[in-house]
Amino acid sequence: MLDGARMDMNVTETADGITHVVLDGRFDIAGAQEVDSRFGPLAERSKALIVDLTKVSFIASLGVRTLMMSAKTLIRRGADMAVCGANDNVEKVLRSTGFNEVAWIYPDFASAESALASRAADFASRKG
Amino acid sequence: MSAQPRTLSRDFPGTIEAASDAECWLASQSGALGLAEDTEFAINLCLEELFLNAVRHGRANRARISISAEPDAVRVEFVDDGEAFDPSAAQPRRISGPTEDFQIGGYGTGLVQRFSRRMSYRRTEGMNRLVLEFDAGQEGDPRPEALRTA
Repeated sequence: MLDGARMDMNVTETADGITHVVLDGRFDIAGAQEVDSRFGPLAERSKALIVDLTKVSFIASLGVRTLMMSAKTLIRRGADMAVCGANDNVEKVLRSTGFNEVAWIYPDFASAESALASRAADFASRKG
Repeated sequence: MSAQPRTLSRDFPGTIEAASDAECWLASQSGALGLAEDTEFAINLCLEELFLNAVRHGRANRARISISAEPDAVRVEFVDDGEAFDPSAAQPRRISGPTEDFQIGGYGTGLVQRFSRRMSYRRTEGMNRLVLEFDAGQEGDPRPEALRTA
């Protein structure tokens, strides 16, 4: 994590074209303010989005709000979103809000990537 | 000798940033209070949501937090001078079922209800007084080292 920052955010793209966001820090008020504006453009253009929460030690409602905004944009575009690696308390927060009703929750990045790539392939074949 | 409850209190300004200050304060006192990791997470979460509600919606100018670590529970009192609001009586919001038509915000009060095991609210002398109770979940002797006796 960067010195002085509440939340670090690293974005890469997999060979399957899935956007992989790794967050590192506390997804509290300050952390959400630091990364919120970067999620909007990602949700607008991603084929599928996986947010890796392995290094997120804490989340509160403003962090969930940031994730929900992305989920809403992706759903409207017909794209998928997943989070992975959440610790027990972070996952409990997400499930308490019902976030798991609008995005997938996986234990790790490998299982999230595999599932989203498979769904994207199914979707493409049905369209074709 | 039975463990004596230890109570800490601190005043905070009615600002969003004060939530982070409260979090740092709790982290600095967590060892002295003997808070388990899950209990500290729950208290931090509830305090952040209470600050947000009090400042953004209640227009509070100040808040006082008191934390009491007792053998059977950790009790946190949050007192603010904002508009009257009883979080214990509020209907919690939760997304129900897969949908794209869901609210983006408004989940904080439900989180406070979910992560505390008991809530009691009263409005006195123009102040909201909310007491939250959490599982003790204490790690070892809850008293600071200086207070422990053989």
